[in-house]
Amino acid sequence: MDVAAVQSLLIERINSGVLVVDEECRLVYFNRFMESHSLLSASEVIGKNLFDIFPDAPKRWLQRKIQSVFMLNTPAFSSWEQRQFVFKMRHARPVTTSSEYMAQNITFIPICDKGTTEPDKVGIIVDDVTDVFFYQEKLKDTLTELEHVSRTDGLTKVSNRRYWEERFRVEFSTAQRHDHALSLIMFDLDKFKLINDQYGHQAGDLVLVEAANLVENLLRKGDLLGRYGGEEFGIILPNTNAQGAAELAERIRRQFSLLKMQYEKHTISATMSVGICECDSRFTRFEDMVTRADLALYQSKREGRNQVTIYQA
Amino acid sequence: MNEITLTEEQRDCLQELINVAMGQASDKLARYLQTFVHLQVPYIELIDSEVLPERFAETYAQEGVSLVSQGFYGEKGILGESLLIYKSHDAHGIAEILGYEPDDVSEVEQLTDISSILTTTFLNGLAEQIDNQLAYSAPRVVSSMETPLEHHLQQLSFNWDLALKVDISYQVVDFSFNCDMVLLIPGEAIKNIQKVLDQILDEF
Amino acid sequence: MNIPVLICDDSTLARKQVKKSLPSNWDVEVQFASNGREALNIMREQQIGVLFLDLTMPEIDGIGVLEANHAEKLVDFTIVVSADIQPEMQNRVAELGALAFIQKPVNTTKLTEILQQYGLL
Repeated sequence: MDVAAVQSLLIERINSGVLVVDEECRLVYFNRFMESHSLLSASEVIGKNLFDIFPDAPKRWLQRKIQSVFMLNTPAFSSWEQRQFVFKMRHARPVTTSSEYMAQNITFIPICDKGTTEPDKVGIIVDDVTDVFFYQEKLKDTLTELEHVSRTDGLTKVSNRRYWEERFRVEFSTAQRHDHALSLIMFDLDKFKLINDQYGHQAGDLVLVEAANLVENLLRKGDLLGRYGGEEFGIILPNTNAQGAAELAERIRRQFSLLKMQYEKHTISATMSVGICECDSRFTRFEDMVTRADLALYQSKREGRNQVTIYQA
Repeated sequence: MNEITLTEEQRDCLQELINVAMGQASDKLARYLQTFVHLQVPYIELIDSEVLPERFAETYAQEGVSLVSQGFYGEKGILGESLLIYKSHDAHGIAEILGYEPDDVSEVEQLTDISSILTTTFLNGLAEQIDNQLAYSAPRVVSSMETPLEHHLQQLSFNWDLALKVDISYQVVDFSFNCDMVLLIPGEAIKNIQKVLDQILDEF
Repeated sequence: MNIPVLICDDSTLARKQVKKSLPSNWDVEVQFASNGREALNIMREQQIGVLFLDLTMPEIDGIGVLEANHAEKLVDFTIVVSADIQPEMQNRVAELGALAFIQKPVNTTKLTEILQQYGLL
């Protein structure tokens, strides 16, 4: 067996790009993988400058990299995670992956001529890692999606209680530390049980969703609506005093009371009772605000519902 | 169970080989980076896998530490991992010496690039003196600003009990840039390096 | 008549390497010192022809030896053999009267060249 012939055949046919450049970055070798993915033939690129063949390649960086291999006589690397590709080429998965260009892991190796210790050529091996890239991207998307799901209330799509409380804890300590204003609105749908009894649970669900949507549209950036439980919701209002919170709450209360919700052939109207609590330097936990906003909310209920009450110490 | 110890001669031999490799590396790096690189006298010890995370935490657990790992393997069963640790660095300076365009902002890539250069230049020098040829894995960022080192250390588990650990510190003068390199040659590979050292000692 | 040569390095391996790299046709009498203090003691007691000197050493380092030698005029021919090749260091060493600077690792070819250059061989 002619080992050298087998070796050169393998390098020619291997499922990775192999190219070799001299000290002036002129191509001296270009294997079949490179030919078919770059749509260039070896005969037309040999002897030409690497940067003329790949004008999109990051020239300064790549030159410096190749120079390091020559000068230091050490290998160098490039990873798709930091630089998706160096040589802009198509990849072999146009159908099942979404990226347009081949993601690449690249190894640069010094090549010394027989009997010498200083390299006079650099070999560049290009591995197609489009698959890895694709699945990593998918994984990233999935994780983002999962994170979103884990903090969202399934029915109303607003923050769930766990996430809402987590955020409240952070906002509370920030406000206390920097002596910033912070207010809390708690609201509860009036006679919600009646809606369920009269029109069915699906109608009840619709009312919850409509209420959440309406409120969400009235909030400013930075405010956070969460479903506290059942038909009770909370809104965290950073940098807002009781007065500001009351104005917003009043707008929400009025608009909701005017909202006509369509369920099958029924037109449903509903109201809410609202309680407000502004943060006080004597409070030690965010739960202190929840308790007080709830007290104000019950006062709204006691005094005839469909109204806003500010907690007074 | 660990009966591996370095004899005084072996330690002296390794220390000298490393000193020489450091000199060669700083010479080459000076030419490539066009700035002088100071390599500080190494510290050599055998370290138990159980105490390694703790030792790392003591030295590097403060905020903002980045760690880049690169594996190496050669003939005669010589292998190990090189860890480059950056306490703080002048990202702009590194970007400039490595030929990054001003809008190339991947600090992670800059760290892997410079780490690979420092690691492979030094190790190639060492390999040459022990008449060995090393190959390297691609460098990887193990921890950075986003993923603290402590977090990572807690998840480490080792399949070796003892490693030969060599600490070298690098200082790139003109770019107020410095880092520590920790070479770890684990388990069986220690015996292999001892054999190599003994052969060198026999020659003299 | 053989030339008294002193090899000063804290590493046993390095001392042996220098000795082994001396040209075989060079008629010498080799002595060793493992730090600067030992080296100076020997240099003050006996006539040393050629000193091979490392720089980084405990007790008194290579620079310390060169300074003392510069002041006391003990050895005429000093060749520094060091892994530390900073340009400032090379200049400093030359100022203190070292003949040549050899970057480690030493080998016979490098040594022979320098010895011939200064007519020591």
